[in-house]
Amino acid sequence: MTDQGLEITRRSFFGRTATGIGAAALSQMLGRDLQAKQGGAAEFGGLPGLPHFAPKAKRVIYLFMSGGPSQMETFDYKPRLMDFAGKDLPESIRGGQRLTGMTSTQKSFPVVPSKFSFQQHGQTGTWVSELLPHTAKIVDELCFIRSMHTEAINHDPAVTFFQTGSQIAGRPSMGAWATYGLGSESQDLPGFVVLITQGTGGQPIYDRLWGSGFLPTRYQGVKFRSVGDPVLWLNDPEGFEREQRRDWLDTLNTLNRRKLDEFGDPEIATRIAQYEMAYKMQTSVPELTDLSGESERTFELYGEDAHKPGTFAANCLLARRLAERGVRFIQLYHRGWDQHGGLPKGISRQCEDTDRATAALVTDLKERGLLEDTLVIWGGEFGRTVYCQGRLTPEDYGRDHHPRCFTMWMAGGGIKPGMTIGETDEYSYNVTADPVHVHDMQATILHCLGIDHEKLTFKYRGRYFRLTDVAGNVVDKILS
Amino acid sequence: MLSLRPVALLIFVAVASAQEVKFNRDVRPILSDKCFACHGPDAQNRKTPLRLDTAEGASVALAGGGKAIVAGDPSVSVLIQRVKSDDPIRRMPPAYQGHDKLSDREIGVLERWIEQGGEFEGHWAFTPPTRPELPQVERADWVRNPVDTFVMRGLERAGLQPSPEASKERLIRRVTLDLTGLPPTPAEIDAFLSDSSPDAYEKVVDRLLASPQYGERMASDWLDAARYADTNGYQSDGVRSMWRWRDWVVESFNKNLPFDKFTVWQIAGDLLPNRTEEQLLATAFHRNNRTSGEGGIVEEEFRVEYVADRAETTGTVWLGLTVGCARCHDHKYDPITQKDYYSLFAFFNSVPERGLVYNFGNDGPRMKAPTPEQKTKLAALAEEAKQAHAKWAALEPQVEKAQRAWEKSLEPNRDEFTREGLVARFALGDTLALEALTGVDDPDEDKSPVQPRPFTPMAFLTVRPSWTASATSTAAVGGFQYDDRFTVSLWMNPEKVDDAGVVSRMQDVDEGSGWGLLLHEGRLRMEFTMRHTDHSMRVETKRTLEAGKWHHVALTFEGKLPSHEGLTIWVDGEAWPFDVEWDDLKWPIGYRAYPFRIGAAAGRRFEGLVDEVRLYKRALSPEEIAALGVDAPLKTIAAKPVSERTPAEALKLRTAFLEDGLPPRLNVARFQAEEAERQRAAFEAAIPTVMVMRDMEEPRQAYVLNRGAYDAHGEPVSPNTPSALPPLPDGVKHDRLALAKWLVDPKNPMPARVTVNRFWQMLFGRGIVKTVEDFGSQGEWPSHPELLDWLAVEFVDSGWDVQHILKTIVTSNAYRQSSRTTPELLERDPENALIARGPRVRLPAPAIRDQALAASGLLNEKLGGPPVKPYQPAGLWEEVSSSSYKPDSGDKLYRRSLYTYWKRTIAPPAMTAFDASDREVCTVRQTRTNTPLQALNLMNDVTYLEASRKLAERMMHEAGPGPEARIERGFRLATAREPEQGEVRALEALYQKLLRDYRKDDFEAERYLAQGESPRDKSLDAAELASYAGVASLILNLDETITKE
Repeated sequence: MTDQGLEITRRSFFGRTATGIGAAALSQMLGRDLQAKQGGAAEFGGLPGLPHFAPKAKRVIYLFMSGGPSQMETFDYKPRLMDFAGKDLPESIRGGQRLTGMTSTQKSFPVVPSKFSFQQHGQTGTWVSELLPHTAKIVDELCFIRSMHTEAINHDPAVTFFQTGSQIAGRPSMGAWATYGLGSESQDLPGFVVLITQGTGGQPIYDRLWGSGFLPTRYQGVKFRSVGDPVLWLNDPEGFEREQRRDWLDTLNTLNRRKLDEFGDPEIATRIAQYEMAYKMQTSVPELTDLSGESERTFELYGEDAHKPGTFAANCLLARRLAERGVRFIQLYHRGWDQHGGLPKGISRQCEDTDRATAALVTDLKERGLLEDTLVIWGGEFGRTVYCQGRLTPEDYGRDHHPRCFTMWMAGGGIKPGMTIGETDEYSYNVTADPVHVHDMQATILHCLGIDHEKLTFKYRGRYFRLTDVAGNVVDKILS
Repeated sequence: MLSLRPVALLIFVAVASAQEVKFNRDVRPILSDKCFACHGPDAQNRKTPLRLDTAEGASVALAGGGKAIVAGDPSVSVLIQRVKSDDPIRRMPPAYQGHDKLSDREIGVLERWIEQGGEFEGHWAFTPPTRPELPQVERADWVRNPVDTFVMRGLERAGLQPSPEASKERLIRRVTLDLTGLPPTPAEIDAFLSDSSPDAYEKVVDRLLASPQYGERMASDWLDAARYADTNGYQSDGVRSMWRWRDWVVESFNKNLPFDKFTVWQIAGDLLPNRTEEQLLATAFHRNNRTSGEGGIVEEEFRVEYVADRAETTGTVWLGLTVGCARCHDHKYDPITQKDYYSLFAFFNSVPERGLVYNFGNDGPRMKAPTPEQKTKLAALAEEAKQAHAKWAALEPQVEKAQRAWEKSLEPNRDEFTREGLVARFALGDTLALEALTGVDDPDEDKSPVQPRPFTPMAFLTVRPSWTASATSTAAVGGFQYDDRFTVSLWMNPEKVDDAGVVSRMQDVDEGSGWGLLLHEGRLRMEFTMRHTDHSMRVETKRTLEAGKWHHVALTFEGKLPSHEGLTIWVDGEAWPFDVEWDDLKWPIGYRAYPFRIGAAAGRRFEGLVDEVRLYKRALSPEEIAALGVDAPLKTIAAKPVSERTPAEALKLRTAFLEDGLPPRLNVARFQAEEAERQRAAFEAAIPTVMVMRDMEEPRQAYVLNRGAYDAHGEPVSPNTPSALPPLPDGVKHDRLALAKWLVDPKNPMPARVTVNRFWQMLFGRGIVKTVEDFGSQGEWPSHPELLDWLAVEFVDSGWDVQHILKTIVTSNAYRQSSRTTPELLERDPENALIARGPRVRLPAPAIRDQALAASGLLNEKLGGPPVKPYQPAGLWEEVSSSSYKPDSGDKLYRRSLYTYWKRTIAPPAMTAFDASDREVCTVRQTRTNTPLQALNLMNDVTYLEASRKLAERMMHEAGPGPEARIERGFRLATAREPEQGEVRALEALYQKLLRDYRKDDFEAERYLAQGESPRDKSLDAAELASYAGVASLILNLDETITKE
């Protein structure tokens, strides 16, 4: 594995391999046809020897629902809760569970059933809450995991755990690992792109969630933004035209090439290539974010929100466009799922904002034949408690963080459609069958990409680190 | 993977030619990387008794017969048999665990080592350095100082020649950027070029080391190591203020504070006998760790994390060891046990801190850290206040006289006094309407499943109807916060004292949000709550109050942290001691529409009588409280002879007189005295603080934490240094001071080596030990072990003189070489580990920006002060958090990058794009990547566009007419050299093209020039300036410009 620090042999930001020095290196970096035919991930700037086996998914779209969506209001149907309503959660169920500092001194733990009704959907008869009518229509494409569990009970450590495999910040994110291992198929877009819904409020998220940790910084996720330049500093300034930029760049290249000839530093060749790549991005990114060529039908599918940059719907549509262009890891964040109080109102709004576009994305990918090699993941950092946090009234209640069980779904490349794995007890408090830990989920995602999670490592401070730390088992049951 | 190959090849060549295998250089890296995980120091993970890190462990009889290593005979050594085996079950390292077979080269090394006797050596880094003999070299003429001897020895061994000396222009640029982080000015370059004296270069070096910018440049790396930032780091990423420590670092480098002092002060300055303020300030080093203010966290989990961070940072910065690897189990590669880890951890475990920290500023322990200017100013203000007060005090006879006259004129019913800061007064006479008190109720409250009793105030009857009923405010008073100063004062006569609410502004439920004064089992209780579970305070007096009697009760609150330290509960003029039940309040309360209530708090009601309720927005003095507790009306007091008045009565009367009766001629002096004191106090309050280290009186017990889990206590441990390193001296107390002194004890093999290695990295782009953070078994073999030891010993012998070491290195011929390379050299030594050429390394992130500011003339060279917010693309904070970024304006935009506000969760993007450390954890290793995002940043960030325009203005003003001279000027400002003809021609061609475009469209030129806050020079032609700005932008984007060459 490559070491951190000085990068003698440079792979570009997009993962192109650059070997040799000077003009030869330059032409290699600039022209795909001159690429060394190494095969596998190396062809895309990934590591030699990867993928470890034939991948079912070439790319990932991860819809991260930040804040911790309640499983009881979405996918984990618990009809018996009506019988327990208002009664204290039995200690036998709670089993000495550690609580957050927010409810640890609460005097009672009254069980609160979901205010929302559930129905069975699809050929699989999967129970889905009335809050998610669109997702309900595609349940036969999805694989539900009702038995997710995590170790963290607060947002920062929990989200960091999901995205980096460790609760304490500092490790590379999942997308960074994937692009480090596999490179990117896209020639003129970054391999790891991050899209964040705007205007939801909620718990903050952090750059490190898509950071590269101790991997070289070129593997960090690149935010595509809805405010200002879609990629930082992408647009030339006003009063500086595209043709002028070309002349300018040609002159810069001329001078840098002189320097390369004189000093022989291969770094200069890489620099020239990266300026050309930047120039390409100046057209490829606007082309990507320009939705004017999308059909009426598309907007019917994703909803009118897809016209508004920065909405979840617009980001889902962008995710599909990024997938079409071979971007390896597409990470969406949607904040605002942290309903400690006022849950019915809060979660209704969250579902309204996301349900339609989520279903549209899966449908759209399927119609375009992309779903078979795109892995789509939906889920938050933990679940929520069956007992009420704060005031309980007939109309209103809240739920605290709950790490012991929650629901996620996966779909597409490598995953069996139309199945549910895992069970929870009558209270949706403990997993009773097929537990899936965060590291298991990570191992499974990497597996779908053709990566053995134990073998994708990076030596840092004398130790070989990996996404799944020292744990993780691939969830075989859900693999197609 | 590819990057390692050439180095490995190089070592292989060296080995093959020397025919001698060295255990530490050649064998240990293989055994460590491939075998130690299961056959190494970690006892728990050892699969069999065989261990390959010690001779004893390697000589055990194997279960399957034979020995791993049979000296002199590889063929019967089981180690060799097993690594060569093709049987997947037998082969080591095991295929079934996913390991690859050792390479032929690695097996070859092991075989030769066993052939040569299979001797083990202790790991080199654990042996203290001694000053090595200077080796004999053939090219003695090239040697300028001992550094060169060692470098030349390496070159001669490898059969390489050094490069010629770099040109003077490149040399002055290289050394200026290295030592100050800024480019040389044209005047500095000219002076150097025209100085033909033999020590011309040394003079430059001395000038640079003496410049204040030197300290800034050195601080930049130290701040990365110290994980310095302006925010806490976790979740909502609250603010902190540590810049006084940052300025101390700059000053210390500029004073060339010896590195041993620099170390001891930062690790344990607080524990030094007769410690100075400066020494205490230095300890902020270990308060720079990330902290969490996220509601609901398990506090101990995070507190343990803070302590661990300190232990691991210390390990990295001073020991060059990855001690963190021993947090969950014994270290797998190095002789550091888990117990060693927690013994080191224990040194830092007794800080009186908590897991959940204050989110809006510095958490304790902290100190006031005035700047020298602030100290002077504060002393002056104190003197002014003193003098103003003396003037006022001197008027006492006249005041006394005037008061006597006023007393005679007092109206009988008058009882107004202590009005300063009074925000509400409820005299509760017979005329007060109830509505005025209840105000708007919380609409949500009624929905509560626990229905509170309807609000039925019962206590407004006053026994003294003479008091005037007047509420100065009605409902929305008393919305006090944890950092406010305030006073609550009232009279009460409770019928029952077992469980009652007296006054409050809070949600009217048990443990509700807000503050309240209650009676509980006769004791007075104050509650102050944001969220009961983790952000609240409750105290209760030790003594009990008698029912059926009138008492004057007051709370004075000074807004301190912890809150109870500024709280006094007064009963009948006496401060009653109280028990603190808990005190975690450090978050603002959202009062919503909770009314201020009299006779109610926390769902409890009062029975009895209440009178004269007052709220002040300041903490009254004990004397003022006593005066409030005087129930005799003013006229009654005035009627008494002066000698018979109690002090409290006298003060009440005096206060009323000063407020109402003081003649204007006397009032001026009083006003001036108060104003001077107000100003002094306000200035003092604004003095920056810094979080510093302190130990609790009773050290907190540390434990081995099983699997590293915060709550899995194993064996108790006390502070101690790692067992593989020299022990602490006998008889010393094992505290941080002992640790600090041990870190700079010359017997300690690590710190001097680790430190000089970082200096080498700073100058050559690569350490002598490339893994600057890891000198352990998994670290890299030093390229020049003797040079490293020579520098380390020289460092200690010079009195830990940082500038001496830097000067020694930068004045060597090794450093002065040209950085041109050849394909052959690149093939042989791609990383330039052997120093057959000078360093050619992309500049660190701060230097890239600072250089552009300097070259364009925008740079604001002000030293120190609070952080600044330069340009940053809009919306970056807003899109992921609820905080927003507002750039500064004016010359704050052009401060050096060292002063840029560092928000950990959303770091300055232009810095991170160029591989700046993220300041999350200690970082000492430089990484450098080369990405399109960097290109976009330099092309289009307003920072560089504005700098380009200002550089263009300089080009037009400072150089003679004509593009050639102007381009030459701009080129030189950025690269320190004259451009070659070809370069000028290319740039001039671009200039002419741009000029043609802008001549056609002046509007476009103006738009291009409108970048940044500074106005463009209107005296210059727009088209020309825009064209030169385009050229200047290109110059700032040149590979050469952003590279130290």
